[in-house]
Amino acid sequence: MWQKTKPYLLLLPTIGTIVLLFFGGLFDGLLKSFGYFPAIGETRFETTAYADLFRSSEFWESLVLTLRVAALSSVIAAVLGAFIAISLFMLNKLAKTGSAQFWHRLFQLPLTIPHLVGGYIIVLLFMQSGFLSKILASAGLIDKITDFPVLVNDPFGWGIILTYAWKEAPFVSLMIYPVLSRIHRSWRDVARVFGAGSWQFIREIVLPVMLPAWTIATFVVFVFTFSAFEVPFLLGVTYPSMLPVYSYQLYTSGTLADRPEALAVNIVLAVLTILLGLVVYYFSKRWNVFKGWD
Amino acid sequence: MKKILLIVPGILALTLAACSQETGNDAAEEAESLLTSEWQEVSEAAQGQKVNMYMWGGNDNINRYLDEWVAPRLKEDHDVELNRVPMNDSQDIINQLVDEKSVGKSEGSMDIIWINGENFKAAKDNELLWGDFTGQLPNFNDYINQEAPEIATDFGEPVDGLEAPWGKAQFVFVHDVNKSETPPKSMDELADWVQENPGQFTYPALPDFTGSAFVRHVLYETTGGYEQYQQPAAEIADLETRLEPMWQYLNEIEPFLWREGETYPESLAKQDQLFASGEIGMTMSYDPALAASEVLKGRFPESTRTFLLDGGTLANTHFLSIPFNSSAKAGAMVAINEMMSPAAQTAKLSPKNWGDLSALDLDKLSPEQQQAMNDVDLGKATLSLEELESHQLPELSADYIEIIEKGWMEHVAKD
Repeated sequence: MWQKTKPYLLLLPTIGTIVLLFFGGLFDGLLKSFGYFPAIGETRFETTAYADLFRSSEFWESLVLTLRVAALSSVIAAVLGAFIAISLFMLNKLAKTGSAQFWHRLFQLPLTIPHLVGGYIIVLLFMQSGFLSKILASAGLIDKITDFPVLVNDPFGWGIILTYAWKEAPFVSLMIYPVLSRIHRSWRDVARVFGAGSWQFIREIVLPVMLPAWTIATFVVFVFTFSAFEVPFLLGVTYPSMLPVYSYQLYTSGTLADRPEALAVNIVLAVLTILLGLVVYYFSKRWNVFKGWD
Repeated sequence: MKKILLIVPGILALTLAACSQETGNDAAEEAESLLTSEWQEVSEAAQGQKVNMYMWGGNDNINRYLDEWVAPRLKEDHDVELNRVPMNDSQDIINQLVDEKSVGKSEGSMDIIWINGENFKAAKDNELLWGDFTGQLPNFNDYINQEAPEIATDFGEPVDGLEAPWGKAQFVFVHDVNKSETPPKSMDELADWVQENPGQFTYPALPDFTGSAFVRHVLYETTGGYEQYQQPAAEIADLETRLEPMWQYLNEIEPFLWREGETYPESLAKQDQLFASGEIGMTMSYDPALAASEVLKGRFPESTRTFLLDGGTLANTHFLSIPFNSSAKAGAMVAINEMMSPAAQTAKLSPKNWGDLSALDLDKLSPEQQQAMNDVDLGKATLSLEELESHQLPELSADYIEIIEKGWMEHVAKD
């Protein structure tokens, strides 16, 4: 009996904390988004916050922007991450370990930088009076700093996408690399015997093997960029803002009576994330991408 | 299984409701006695207490002044330990108190909070503040002009002794004399300046505190003065049409702003960064000495100066208060009293420390104390106290600010 329950008992503190803090917070937000807010004397359940939200054009424009930025960020990060991982993998197979180690460390460097700091670095580098712009101006490549292209706080969201691509690509490669390193050296030789070049080897063997990890890593990046706050806050434009920033604006600018709407945005974010997760899960089962795990 | 899923939220909701019924009666009585007892008793009760001061922590100077000037003296003279807890926004303080109140937490972690304006109104409306304590403080009774409107009301809301004045702030514009020798003196002149210097002016996106204050100046100057807004917003029937000239003004200058008004800096910090790196030629501050201390730090150019509008700029008082569930109320009273002393207020006035205007009535100070205050070097970029004081406008009440902040997104930022 003890042997059976032991693992569960060991997991209990962690699970308890997660359930209490994470689900507790989510549940509290859900209640408040339906207008249940005893602290200000509101104890009825109503859906006015959601109705107001779905009627406002700000919300829909925010949603479109958020989806676009999250999709572009995660796709670029996925492609870059896969490229890094495969390059490192090929490098490892060819070279001596010393230099490969160095490249490994170099690509992991962005992982150690918090998003807030990363976002601010991008601002200081790329704003029109930023570091790069001033260097170009003093070198005479541009006449005045306003000739420097607008890369941060731009309406399309390139600043946000740039930051995320740079921050998340190493994460994606970190998720894929261990899977790749399970590919035996002998497979490479076998492939050669059958007349496969490097390209074909990557296409026929490496890609299928890493696909499950890659799908999941990309999805994690998508969900993160979809609901993170600090980077869009620093690098976005005033209008339209990404959904998390929109929620923050509602939460801080209004009175307590506006809170249900701010929390409704968060609940919408959470529901969309769950739905996307289900979609990814369904398709990955269907295409059988998980067979790479075996 | 389905039934269980329905029961869980029900139970949770019930326990949350049940929690809010509990109160600590003994502690409450003890605290009540502090509101009537002699100051001597309060100081004795405060000895050895640890006081947590929750406040906006976004300014190094303010943080240093508290940690290095106030805290050691409190420890030395009164045996009260001051622990500063930085918050990102005063709104967060109110949010946390609301949450603590709704779960019935009677022993909170906050002992002193730094608030004013809409946060005070929210705290007062939701009964998050302890009570009428300021009459107990010797320094409040000796040095404060209690009848002055800026002390008796906070953004139009009666203070009722719930908070003690800590300092005064006044809105100033900040410019670089190399870029604009004669700064504009009114909103009309500012509009001309903006059109002659495209891309050189902007203001932080609302609901940023400073950006919101800038828009209130536009409101006063384009709609015929502040007097009409001294009544509750709900009582003005044609408010929508009355605000129209303000939106019009803001939309007229928009194409000539930084980045053609496509976007606005999301915070004053970003706007100051743009000014420091020379991307824009003007910024603004609700702190008249901020420019001087930024020049001292070497962030702003030496040629930075501040200016006012002829029609005056907004001034307000900021306050210290004690939440309903503070666990060290006596210590909080002693600390607040100490921060209102002439010595602490004089130190606070220096841009080296903070540069915040004194909350005290100069006439109530002794000649030596007055001399000490006048001797403080405010720095080249700061205007004289007389000039500031002769150009003060009263603040708007929170209900207007809310309407303006919501309207700004709709009327200005969106298109």
